[in-house]
Amino acid sequence: MNDPTGPWATAAEIASAVAGGTVSALSVTQAALARVAAGNAAINAYTDVTADRALREAAAVDAARAAGAMPGPLAGVPFAVKNLFDVAGLPTRAGSKINRDRPPARADASLLLRMNAAGAVLLGGLNMGEYAYDFTGENAHDGACRNPHAMGRMTGGSSSGCGAATAAGLAPVSLGSDTNGSLRVPAALCGVFSLKPTYGRLGRGGTFPFVDSLDHLGPMARSATDLALAHDALQGPDPGDHGCTGKIAPVMPSLECGVAGLRIGVLEGWFASHADTDAQAAVSAAAAMLGKTTDVFPQRFDAAEAARAAAYLITNSESAAFHLNRLRNRADDFDPDTRDRFLAGALLPAAWIARAQRVRHWCLEQALALFADTDLLLAPATPCAAPLAGQRLLQLAGRDMPLRPSLGLLAQPFSCIGLPVVTVPVFAPGQLPLGVQIVAPPWREDLALRAALVLEQAGVAQAHPPGQRAA
Amino acid sequence: MTADAYMDAAAAVVGLTISAPQRDGVARFLGIAADMAAILDAFPLDDGVLAMAPVFRLPESPPDE
Repeated sequence: MNDPTGPWATAAEIASAVAGGTVSALSVTQAALARVAAGNAAINAYTDVTADRALREAAAVDAARAAGAMPGPLAGVPFAVKNLFDVAGLPTRAGSKINRDRPPARADASLLLRMNAAGAVLLGGLNMGEYAYDFTGENAHDGACRNPHAMGRMTGGSSSGCGAATAAGLAPVSLGSDTNGSLRVPAALCGVFSLKPTYGRLGRGGTFPFVDSLDHLGPMARSATDLALAHDALQGPDPGDHGCTGKIAPVMPSLECGVAGLRIGVLEGWFASHADTDAQAAVSAAAAMLGKTTDVFPQRFDAAEAARAAAYLITNSESAAFHLNRLRNRADDFDPDTRDRFLAGALLPAAWIARAQRVRHWCLEQALALFADTDLLLAPATPCAAPLAGQRLLQLAGRDMPLRPSLGLLAQPFSCIGLPVVTVPVFAPGQLPLGVQIVAPPWREDLALRAALVLEQAGVAQAHPPGQRAA
Repeated sequence: MTADAYMDAAAAVVGLTISAPQRDGVARFLGIAADMAAILDAFPLDDGVLAMAPVFRLPESPPDE
């Protein structure tokens, strides 16, 4: 049991201590704010700290408990949000310079309201890649986030602040977005857990969009249980999101059911050829552990390369169309590293995009056929561990590829077709963390979280404080 | 048509101006997009079927009064 006011307490530990009256939400919040004040400059994770609001929310949690109200499942748990979430009173910068000219948000984003309703306490907004078009964690306007496990290396992006803050003990839970891998890449490179739910599961109302048909929101945390707690607190209908189904399926009741009887495929082919030996070893370690209690076998998803290509073109075109007026009028106010890609996206032939949408439909059919005899799939989250800050090229499959669009290529095939994915952190002795994707059929977040918990309890997938990597 | 000519023609159609410092980057990303389009072209699709991924579904009709 960690000290609930300490940096490594899980959300479950904090909520339990606050509900049980062994610590106040105010004490937890004051300690968290002090850590942010002391530690943020080194990693550049927070762009806004909402200290007054946090103290008010914490005091309200304590007052409600004192009055006899049932504490929420996240009572007193500090959290932070990627700065594309609306926070009442703040401009929703979405990693950009341009958005700072927009009026402050008048209301909170839907998921922020749900976190508050569960008793969680907002600490602030987090750094991100401009307009979420980023896998690196670099940002020309707010500066790069730094990886708490290796300050000279990338956090990954675009939910870079989520990865850095969660890994560094500056937020036990954070909320980010994932359009092509933007939760999974930073979770992997920073050594924490993430959940990208099924497309349409969690409401996106009150967030600044990137690609409507691919945007997902979800949590990062330092344990599988915390992901499950957040997932259950965040579900429900959202009138502010036309893509939200409102489906509710709590995962906590079955979280400890294990993996016995589940059929787990380890993706080979394209996934293996685009991952280095360390990334493949992380998947092998997870597969070996799960294989002790259930059937684990090689599997192929030969539509992956096409799904990735479709995701690339749809993202490029849809996002550029969304930003077209900003590109016409303020192109030089964009981060140069996103500007040219947005500009290119505005020039793509419509026939390419229509074909991408047809192939995307076909890829989903291929995946659903795979799930007829497979319950979960395992794949590396990134091709390699955190690259050096500023690195421009990535060597993959024996050739140099541009890093910015390629770091998330193993994540893109699954978000392209909306599948739920839990990413778990694997620390090989003395090495930087890597992530393993646990991919489930649509609406079966529960299965992926069960497998994540098994790996965590076995010690194969755990978040470690920086400087305390597995020996 | 050369890549440069395409860039200029398409940019004019959508009301964009591609400045000198932007040209190399835009050309590079157009090249990547072309590579992606070639991957998709290589996947055989039934030429009698048109099923697009983001088809929307209308809400259920309200119950009869």
